[in-house]
Amino acid sequence: MSLIPLILYAAAGVVYAVHFVRRQPGVGRAATTLLLLGALSHTFVIGMQTMEVRHVPIANMSRAVSSFVWMLALSYLYLELTTDERAMGVFILPLLVGLQAIPVLNPGVETKDPLFDSPWFWVHVTSLLFAYASFALAAMLGLTYMLQFKEIKKKQLGYFYTRLPSLHILDAMNSRAVVIGWVFLTIGVVVGVVWASQARALNPGNANLQEMSLNDPKIFIALVSWMVYSFEVFARRTLGWTGRRSAWLSTLGFAIVLLNFLPVNYFVTTSHTFQ
Amino acid sequence: MHLILLGVSHKTAPVDLRERLDFSSRDLGAAVEVLATRPSTAESVVLSTCNRSEIYVASDDPFRAREDVTAFLSEYHGLELDVFMPHVFAHSDEAAARHLFRVAAGLDSIIVGEPQILGQVKDAFQKASERRCTGPILTKLFHWSFGVGKRVRSETALGEGAVSISFAAVALARKIFGRLDGRRVVVIGAGEISTLTAEHLRAQGVGEILITSRTATSADVLASAVNGRAVWWNEAIAALATADIVVTATGSQRPILTRAQVEAAAGRRRLDPLFLIDLAVPRDVDPTVGDLEQVFLYNIDDLQSIVQENLSRRAAEIQHAEAIVSEELVKFASWQRSRGVVPTVVALRQRFDAIRRGEMKRLDSKLSGLSPEALAKVDEVTRLIVEKLLLDPTEQLKALPDEETQVAYTEAVNRLFRLRANESTSEVPDPSPGIRPADRRRP
Repeated sequence: MSLIPLILYAAAGVVYAVHFVRRQPGVGRAATTLLLLGALSHTFVIGMQTMEVRHVPIANMSRAVSSFVWMLALSYLYLELTTDERAMGVFILPLLVGLQAIPVLNPGVETKDPLFDSPWFWVHVTSLLFAYASFALAAMLGLTYMLQFKEIKKKQLGYFYTRLPSLHILDAMNSRAVVIGWVFLTIGVVVGVVWASQARALNPGNANLQEMSLNDPKIFIALVSWMVYSFEVFARRTLGWTGRRSAWLSTLGFAIVLLNFLPVNYFVTTSHTFQ
Repeated sequence: MHLILLGVSHKTAPVDLRERLDFSSRDLGAAVEVLATRPSTAESVVLSTCNRSEIYVASDDPFRAREDVTAFLSEYHGLELDVFMPHVFAHSDEAAARHLFRVAAGLDSIIVGEPQILGQVKDAFQKASERRCTGPILTKLFHWSFGVGKRVRSETALGEGAVSISFAAVALARKIFGRLDGRRVVVIGAGEISTLTAEHLRAQGVGEILITSRTATSADVLASAVNGRAVWWNEAIAALATADIVVTATGSQRPILTRAQVEAAAGRRRLDPLFLIDLAVPRDVDPTVGDLEQVFLYNIDDLQSIVQENLSRRAAEIQHAEAIVSEELVKFASWQRSRGVVPTVVALRQRFDAIRRGEMKRLDSKLSGLSPEALAKVDEVTRLIVEKLLLDPTEQLKALPDEETQVAYTEAVNRLFRLRANESTSEVPDPSPGIRPADRRRP
């Protein structure tokens, strides 16, 4: 079922690339329309899955990835429609397509653990997914900032110079995405800690809950990414680390997030691996 | 109906003659009104910019119209014919349309692709249209040309990239800062090129402009020209800490901005970008200043090479733009030709409808037993049959590829159906003589 959004995202990605190269407004509108259709069909898929398991499908890893892709698509669409800048699509869409391929290739089975009945669990997971979507946007903005910066600084005004928005706009959008992501990351982590300690007292027999500590790679890496983003927010405000440094930190932060989201999730057994 | 174009442009006439034939400084609308009082030039548009004065006329009598336009030029500007006629170019029909399309696309401008011309063409048409001096042909032609101008701008890079040093500097500033509203500018040295750059920056809505110069008077002059503030050297250097854009263009033999000075200022401004535009030869800014993280340093050679690159990129787009012009010209010509068959189509429809009505009338007595609804239905059905029968022939006639075929076909249709419209197809008869074209326009 996740295949239809994937196909639409892939088609949108191709059209965004054509738009990036040729810069024809009609092609750009077609790209947005395709992405919009992809996001709509994805909404439908997630809605169906919610009906099926009677809660938002985020407990199974593949479905969590799918929900993340959906949020990223919506966040990007929001960014595009509010700024009227389509140049970033060519950077975001490959990420959407690559990640959406995971639930298509490995649909997985929705985990049903009595723990997930707590509303805190949903706050914890959705906040984190939304934070990651914001960080993905911030990373793409940072990456394009660095490309643009390099061309202007080196006086080799070329391909990206004519296609990307100004450094100021890229930096401002990056800053906004990082702050929003940081707020949700903080909420997600705090809720996770509070909820886990409550649940631990109530479910003394649950092995997962007993193992949750900083020694757990998933929790540890999440904390590292929180520190990177906290530093980025702090440095921008107090040290004046804007522009290239902030762009670089956003990219680094998202690399860590992605590390946690994919390899750690799939290949390392942690206290967050629920059976 | 024929299109006639007479005019002078930067390609055919020297500037002093263009000035004497200029309409734009005087009232353009009044001029076109004077021209339109002559019957042969009742449908006309006057396009006048500093590089061209062109008169577009749609007329049934092209020879007469041409004479009238030259007479008008001579009388209106008080010039003898032999003064300006050697410099006047004339085009008719498709060539005239092609010329207007090329002008609207910016292909005929001194700086190819410059954006103002499309607005000037629109303005010229509007002035003529307001005074009811345009008719169906010129309205279609000019609207078509707006479309061509738009297509060329959106589908080619003909108008892209700055083609002067000061514009290139402003374009770079916009790429760094986005909108320039409220940005702080420091200008060091009040020469010609820094004045131009400051004016462009002012037009972009920058905030405060501080100007310092070796002589206080020239700083004052520039300050009043761009609504800035003349300051002493020390204040200008102190302002580096908060400035976003610094323009230098002094005659100094040694760099006036050293790395130490900029570094000291940069310490206070942290990592906010600083755009240094060094327009002086020899250079005013120590080149190593460009190594500082937040500094973008461009000297006049850097800007010059951007301009060169943009110019060659524009040149590479000319072919593409010309192709669009030709494509649109084919469509326009086919529209114009399709007007040639209009009388035949109208006559054909009238003839078919007359037959239909005649038959309905003949059957009147037999149909009298029908209810009014059924009668209306019969009327409707017969009308639809006629419409359907005529649909293909009408479309085919309008789509004929050239005038010769068109004449042959209309001739044949006229004979086959005994139509009265047996006029030559290229000359559309005026259905209501005595009425000015503008009055004939459909609401």
